[in-house]
Amino acid sequence: MTTQNTVVSQEEIAQIAKSSRRQRSFLQTATPYLYLAPALIFIAIFVFYPLMRTIQISFFEWNIIRDNQNYVGLDNYLRLLRDDDFWQIIRQSFVYLSISAVAVVALPIGLAFLTLQLTDKEVDFYQTVLFIPTVIATSVAVLVWIWFFLPTRNGLFNTLVQPFGIETVEWLTNSYTALPAVALVANWKVMGFHFLIALAGLKAIPRDYIEAAYVDGASGWALMWRVILPLFAPTALFLLIITLIQGLEYVFIPIRVMTLGGPANATNNLMYAIYQEGFQNFRAGYASALSVMLIALLGGLVYIQYRVLDRRVQYER
Amino acid sequence: MSASNIQRTINGARIVFWIVTLIVLLPLIYQIGISFKNPQQIFTTPILPFTLPPSLENYAAVIRQMDIPLYLFNSLVFSFGVTFGQLALAIPAAFSFAYFNFRFKNQLLGLVIVSLAVPFVVTYIPNYLLLAQWRMINTLHGMILPMLGISLGFGIFLLRQHFLSFPREVLEAAQIDGANSWDILWRVLLPANLSPVVAVGLYVLINSWNQFIWPLLVGGGNPKSYTLTVAVQLFYTSPEGGDYWGAIMAASVLTSLPTVVIFLLMRKRILTTFVEGAVKG
Repeated sequence: MTTQNTVVSQEEIAQIAKSSRRQRSFLQTATPYLYLAPALIFIAIFVFYPLMRTIQISFFEWNIIRDNQNYVGLDNYLRLLRDDDFWQIIRQSFVYLSISAVAVVALPIGLAFLTLQLTDKEVDFYQTVLFIPTVIATSVAVLVWIWFFLPTRNGLFNTLVQPFGIETVEWLTNSYTALPAVALVANWKVMGFHFLIALAGLKAIPRDYIEAAYVDGASGWALMWRVILPLFAPTALFLLIITLIQGLEYVFIPIRVMTLGGPANATNNLMYAIYQEGFQNFRAGYASALSVMLIALLGGLVYIQYRVLDRRVQYER
Repeated sequence: MSASNIQRTINGARIVFWIVTLIVLLPLIYQIGISFKNPQQIFTTPILPFTLPPSLENYAAVIRQMDIPLYLFNSLVFSFGVTFGQLALAIPAAFSFAYFNFRFKNQLLGLVIVSLAVPFVVTYIPNYLLLAQWRMINTLHGMILPMLGISLGFGIFLLRQHFLSFPREVLEAAQIDGANSWDILWRVLLPANLSPVVAVGLYVLINSWNQFIWPLLVGGGNPKSYTLTVAVQLFYTSPEGGDYWGAIMAASVLTSLPTVVIFLLMRKRILTTFVEGAVKG
């Protein structure tokens, strides 16, 4: 070996040691990123790249089928703000979400509090049974509802209203009944899921407080108002926020299968309109401008959600 | 509150739950009932969910008119592909977040959480264009691939939570014994956390089995790539299926059965995962 006879200086030894340490520490610093890399690459390609692309496409007029793209700047946004349909869709999104706030926030919370009067076995049974619609494919579950809503004389709901002297109702093509019908189906799907969350929130409250509230009569009500409800408030707020964030997503498939957004946009909303513009009218630019609007609205809500969640976590500690 | 009052409220709560349960289950009762009705009776007795004797004619019709084995196979490939793909990506990522300390850790975790907040309709158009570029439209792998990124954050976040609650001393002892991080993940942490991994897997499996819009967009152009949900829907909108409600309900039952059975068998685990997922995702 050539190095055998050469005198290795102290500095050289130090340097070798340092570089090997650097090598090892490079590997050590890289390790956590290597474990993360595959997941982050997939998220980057299929979530963040599309997100950026959507923002970019929103500045173009682009028919996907004919594949002609023109840069139009803010035109899509300006057109959108001037479009009456857009404002109708925004309004309807809020109407829908208000219905949901009653159906899948207030109702499941009420049910959760009623379980205080049931045995543990019963609670277990009901939370399982009410959850079943959540695990069934929405697109499939909707079909039996369409059968209920058939506009003919022998449709189930029409058979039920006949004794009240009502002629046949065209439930899904009538602008008064279409939105409630779609809302009923979408909320039927998630009610049991939200009931489960409400129950979990209630279980986190010390059982002694609740029992005390029951035993104490009049002062029990005070305890309910001053202690139990404030402890439960974060759960209620959480349910409300996830309903606002995910509500339009829950009703997406019922709209797609039952009404296609009609009649005359009566069941349309911001999320469904994106799909309609993009995949039915093939106006990718306009659809992307709508997407950016939706992200802006949801972004605010998501921010609030994490704020609430932070407080909630502190509660649990 | 006197004893008799308590008695009365107890009964009141029970009655409310009976009514709610009946309303919630009614569509499913009719779905099953109609699927066993004789096709002629479906409209003559719409109010009765069941008529006797039960008939298997609708199921025979479904099997005759739809290529159930093919669609079942496609649904299985799609949902298991997404499930195993997501687990393979999420487990190392969750481990990294739980076990190591590194620069930008919180920022990267933040990105993962933000990815969950992006609504799916927003990503569909660009992802569809991406698949078109890669010539993956009407293929099952094209259907699976974007799903590995879209809801991946959920699994990462949930598993990280479980890994974090695992006693740190055990991992450190393994490290002192000379195990590297790879061994620690696969030989120590994972075997001890099989139950949450299975739970997350079941959650992803049920959700991907139930997917409809995405498989319709990517695979709806060719019957060879229909999943069950897509096939049932297109059968309903097809001229042959239009008024054939018995067969539509039979196909619905066949599609719903697997997820309901899995849920009823593993309900404790699945319910817990859904609650954790809602609160943390």
